[in-house]
Parts: sequence; C-alpha cells; structure tokens
Amino acid sequence: MNTTMKPMAVVTPPPRGLLRAWLQALATVLRDKGVLLLLIGAPVLYGFFYPWFYTDEVLTRVPVAVVDRDHTSLSRQITRLADADPRIEVRMVTAGEREAQEALWRGEIEGYALIPPNLKRSVVRGESAVVSIEANGAYALLNKAVQYGFAEAVGTVSAGVEIRKLQANGQSAPQARASRAPVQLQMVALFNPTEGYGSFVVPAVALLILQQTLLMGAAMLTGTWVESGQHRARATTWLGRLLALCTLGWASGLFYFGWIFVLHDYPRGGNPLGALALLACYIPAIAALGALLGLWMGNRERALQVLLFTTLPIAFVAGFSWPVEALPQPLQWLRWLLPSTSGVQASLRLNQLGAPLSAALPYLCVLVALGVLFMLALLCTARHRCVVAKSF
Amino acid sequence: MNSIVNSFHREARRLAVDPWDLAMVTWVPLLGVALLWWIFSAGLPRHLAVGVVDDDHSSLSRQLVRMLDATPGVQITQHFTSTAEAERALRAVEVYAVVTIPRDFARTVKEGHAAQVTLLHNAQMSTHSGLLQRDVRAAVGTLSAGIEMAARNKRGESAQAVQVSMEPIHTQMVALFNVSSNYEQFLGAALIPALLHILAMTAGAWTVGRELRDRTLGEWLGAGGWMRTAGALVGKLALPWAALTLVGLLALVGITWGRGWHSPGNLWWVAGALALLMAVSLTAGAALAGITRSLRTALSGAGFFAAPAFAFSGVAFPLAGMPGSARAWAEAMPYTHYIRLQIEQLQMGAPLATSVSTMVALLVATAALWLVGATALTLAHRRPDTWGGR
Repeated sequence: MNTTMKPMAVVTPPPRGLLRAWLQALATVLRDKGVLLLLIGAPVLYGFFYPWFYTDEVLTRVPVAVVDRDHTSLSRQITRLADADPRIEVRMVTAGEREAQEALWRGEIEGYALIPPNLKRSVVRGESAVVSIEANGAYALLNKAVQYGFAEAVGTVSAGVEIRKLQANGQSAPQARASRAPVQLQMVALFNPTEGYGSFVVPAVALLILQQTLLMGAAMLTGTWVESGQHRARATTWLGRLLALCTLGWASGLFYFGWIFVLHDYPRGGNPLGALALLACYIPAIAALGALLGLWMGNRERALQVLLFTTLPIAFVAGFSWPVEALPQPLQWLRWLLPSTSGVQASLRLNQLGAPLSAALPYLCVLVALGVLFMLALLCTARHRCVVAKSF
Repeated sequence: MNSIVNSFHREARRLAVDPWDLAMVTWVPLLGVALLWWIFSAGLPRHLAVGVVDDDHSSLSRQLVRMLDATPGVQITQHFTSTAEAERALRAVEVYAVVTIPRDFARTVKEGHAAQVTLLHNAQMSTHSGLLQRDVRAAVGTLSAGIEMAARNKRGESAQAVQVSMEPIHTQMVALFNVSSNYEQFLGAALIPALLHILAMTAGAWTVGRELRDRTLGEWLGAGGWMRTAGALVGKLALPWAALTLVGLLALVGITWGRGWHSPGNLWWVAGALALLMAVSLTAGAALAGITRSLRTALSGAGFFAAPAFAFSGVAFPLAGMPGSARAWAEAMPYTHYIRLQIEQLQMGAPLATSVSTMVALLVATAALWLVGATALTLAHRRPDTWGGR
C-alpha cells in the first residue's frame, strides 16, 4: 500500500475482439488492487459484517421497571407476569416514578409500567383502574417490545379478574371467555415467521451492497481509463469491458443469493430461476451506469468521494424500510432511475416470497430498459470523446 | 500559527478552483439533507394496501371491512373470493396483508361464542407489517368491544358499569417522547447527521489524501516537523468543518423550529455535539489518509466506517439486541454516541448531565485522531518516495 502503484502506467492499445477485450479487462481488474477490493473484497466483507449486528434477529428481554404504588397481591401478579414475558425483563421495582425516569435517561431501562395506588381496591369494588405503560417512543422497536410485553401481562391479569366475575354471575368458563372478547384476532406472520430484523433488512440491503460496490468499482476503473486515454475505444471493446464487470458482479450476486442467504438462514430460494433472471438484468444495468459515471467524472478516486454518501437516501427510496406510499409523488417516479429500486422489489418477490416470474416481470423490464439506456449513453459518450480526441 | 493560516489559504484557493471539491462540502451536502427531509416529510405512512377474504357476507363482516378501511393507515384495495387468490396477491406484494373473515362469523358472534378473524401479514416487509398489525388490532378491538357492550346492555347492565366490568384493569399506552410515532422526527432527524457524518469523513480523507496522491505534500507542509504539520492539519480541515457544520445546523434548525417542532431539550447542546461530530469525522478521515498514504484506500476506509454507521447505531435496531462483539464495534463509532445525545435532547428532554460524558468523549476522540493524523503525516512527509499511491 505504501509503494507507488501506477495501474495506468503502461498504455496498451485497446484490444479489438469482444473476447480479447473481456479477458484484458478482467486482467486489468485483477492487477488493480483498488478495483479488486471494491468488486470482490467489499461484497465478501459486507456479507459477513452486516448480518453480524443482527445475529439475534428478535429483540428479547428489554430491561424495564415497574413503579408499584399498590403493593398488593394483584400488583405483584402483574410484575411477575411481565417478568415472565420473553419480550421484557423487570430490572427494578420501585415506588417512585422519579427513580424510573432517571433510570430511563441513563439508558438502564427502556420503559416502565405505572401501577396506581389502590389498584386492587378499585378492582374489587368494580371501579375502573388504569395501569399506564410508559415506553421510550424515540426507539420504535424498543417501544413496541415494552408496550406489548406489559400490555399482555396486564391484559392477562385483567381477563382473569373479569372471567372470575362472569363465572360468579353463572356463566361457564368458555362462555365467560367468549363473551369477554366476542371477536378475536389471530395474526399470522408470513414469509418471515419469527419477524426477525436481520431476515427483513439484510436480504434487501444485499441488493444495495451489490449495486454500490459495483457502481464504485466500475466508475473507478473507467475513471482510471479516462486518465490514461484508454476510454477512447470501439464499441466491441466497451462491450467486452462491461462483460468483465458483469462477470464479477454476477459472481458477487451468486455469492449472496446462493450462500450468504443460506449461511444466515434468511428467507430464500423461493424462485431460484427467477433470481438468476434478476441477476442477469440487474448487474449489466449497474455496470453500464458505473462506467458512464466514471466516464463523466474522469478521475480514479472521484467515484468514491461522490458515491459513498448516496447509499443512505437510496436505501430509503427503495421501498422496503420506508413505505413508498409515504414518499412524495415526484420521488415515487424518480426512484425508478436507480437499478436498486427494481432490484430490491424483484429480489423480495423472487428470493423471499417465492412469487412466479410474472410478478417480478415489470421490474425486470425496467432493469433491461435502464441497462440499454445506460449502455447506449456510454457508447455514445465514448464515441463522442473518441471523435473529439481525433479532431485535435 | 503561521502554518495554520498558510494551510487555510491553500485550502481556500483549492476549493475556489475545483468545482467538484467545493460542491462536495457545500451544495451537495445541502441537497442530500434536503432530499432526506423530503423523503420523510409525510411523517407517517398512510393507506397501506390490504385485501379482504369475506366468507361471511353478513352486515357484521361488512361493518368490520368498513371499519378497517376507515383506519388512516389501512386501505382495503382488493376483495378475494378464496385464500389461494389472496396468497397469490400477498406473494406478488399487491397487498401487504389480508384479513380473512370466516363463514358464519356473524352467527357465531350472535350465539355468544367467540369468532376469530385472521390477519395474514407480510412479515418480510417489517415496517409495513408492524404498522398494519397495530391498526388492524385496534379496529378489531373496537368492533369486539362494541359487540360486548351491546350484549351487556341488552342484559340490563348500565353503560357505565359495563365499561368498568368489561376491562377491570385498563392499560394506557404512552409512547414517551415521540407521541405520534412521527417518522420525520424519528428517522429524518437521525438520518441527516448520519449523512453528514459520511460526507465529513469523506471530505477529511479527500482533502488530505489528495495532497498525497498529487505528490504535493511537500508544498503543503513546507519544511515539515510535527508542530508545523499539526497546525497545517487544523488549517486544512477548518473550511470543510465550517461548511459542513453550517449545513448541519441549518438542517437542525429547519427540522425543529422550521417545522414547528418544539423539542423539549437543549438545541444548543445538540448543535455543539453536531459540530464535534463533524470535527471527529473530518479528523478520522484525515488520519486514515495519513496512515494509509493513499487517497483511494482512505476513501474506502471512510466508506467502511461511516456508511453503515446509521445501521449499527441502535436507532433502527437497539444495541441491546446485538451480540457483545458487534455491540462493542457499534459503541466504538462516534455516530452511535452522537445520536443517543441528539435523541435524549430532541425527543426525551433528558437533563444535560446525562450526556456530558458524550461531549467529552467526542472532544477527546477528535484530539486523539488529530494527534494520530499529524504524526502519520509527519512520517509521510519524510518519505517522498511513498507519495503518489493510487
């Protein structure tokens, strides 16, 4: 790394045939540590690095507190049931709300339940009583775990009380249960049965990783060619070069679809042939866009400088972590110019949900259209530069 | 002192003649911030597509469908005649969830038995399914409570007594600090500094790395020496720091006061932390460039550290849910600490005392990275043969 590297030092005349152009571009990539790191190193590294944070998938035992101002068997029953809930863990029982609030600010707990004084007395007398659940709404997942964890504990205690009362009025146990909740809701989680966070986010982010690394690698390679004048080449040469970029991109794609998804046991393999068709359309569109960007920037390192921050906004218009329904209308249109938008949607359907190819066909068509568009733009720009160079 | 001023002027001249470099610390960050704000400006997703399989065709089942459709988060877009058809639509993501109402739904309820409605939701789209579970649960709960109340009224219980005995212990759910679950405040406010963090680290790596790539380290640092190099580094990073901090402060003021969001905490404190986050990111980028002596490697490194910083910061997925080693990594990243401080101030209204240590840590980290960067550059300055790496 500390030695002087000059990947563009030897200017060889651009090769003629498609096959030779492909081989020569592959050889260039293999000799260029920077491009190789982006095209091979980064996808492999991220394949392990990114899922590492979400290994546990589901949030369990979120620390909470119970502010018990009642001190009766009923309030202790609520505390016990809350502690038994897998979502939360009661770390502290106090009589003062202030203490719980301070623990919340210090980050020791993420929420607390407030059991009012005279809870049991109110219940016995048939008056209404309210247990207030205060969770940290600034963190969505923690909030959900605390709310549902406590609500279930309180609900169970409450239902027990009510059913006993109904039985006292002469109803049978099942009857009492039915008249308590005439309409019950059963919720079934499809495709990601444990509702794991990693299973949701990594398969979609994989498509973004594939796009961003290939985009930067292709633009860096093209930028280097521009610096040494090798971008002035015939159409066949350029097609060979794109094919070389695609070869590596396809390899990374297969690495994710075929191995990383399996390794981490993410929902996968719904429609393997469809997923291959997706890679066939997705990778060329990115490679052509990357080369086009490199041609425009004309500098080896510029692509990294300009593209690194774009991953964030691109992730949130792709339609997986943030519902498209909430995007402003112009963005709903503009986002289709990014290959990742169609790529994420098609991959979700083909890899995770196992939809037939027809369900993903519109996205594949968009990708093909983008690929053709970028490739034509690339060839035109390269030819134009070629002509300009000759006229000097 | 002289080295700071000289280096500052040199950087100003460079920015003035290179539109790309100027753009990357001025209007590009501004545009990026505006884009993120625009993405989340709706605040809350509405009208998520839901399908219905109504096997009952009763007035009660139609009432349930109407109630679901009236919920702001839900829009009933399709009626299916069979579960198979519904499943096909779920797989093609034409709908995010399907509510199935069984045959004899109304009759079961009328006879005093419990009837079951099923929500099939696409858990692979976690945000969508989370919102829908909440909304559908609320709608079904409302219907159920209405039926129970009517039944008891019929049996002669008074309305008030019914309300109490139906749910002896109520739960009142309070989402402290983000009452409406507003995503503009939750995600938008967290993503803007994350974006600036990436841009600042990139800018630090770029501005120092470029001197190495162009073999102009000698021109920039003059005779060299540790003191002079340390000063030159300050002078070089001052302009990008001021520009990016300014963009960050504009965004901070825009998303709070500008949107009529009066946060409970101290905005000045957040502004100070943001300025420190920009400083630590810039010096980290500069140190990377000094250590690797390659613009390209430094940029790759900046991307590796900064680009996923948001994903691992505990905002989207809590730190407590990560394995120990991954959590240690997350807690070594400055953004993780900054965003905790920002949330404490903007949302929770926590006392300043809880985040004094964060401020000190950001300051210490900046100083340490500055020392490392200056040392690495001093060493690099002595070896002109190692300049020019790509």
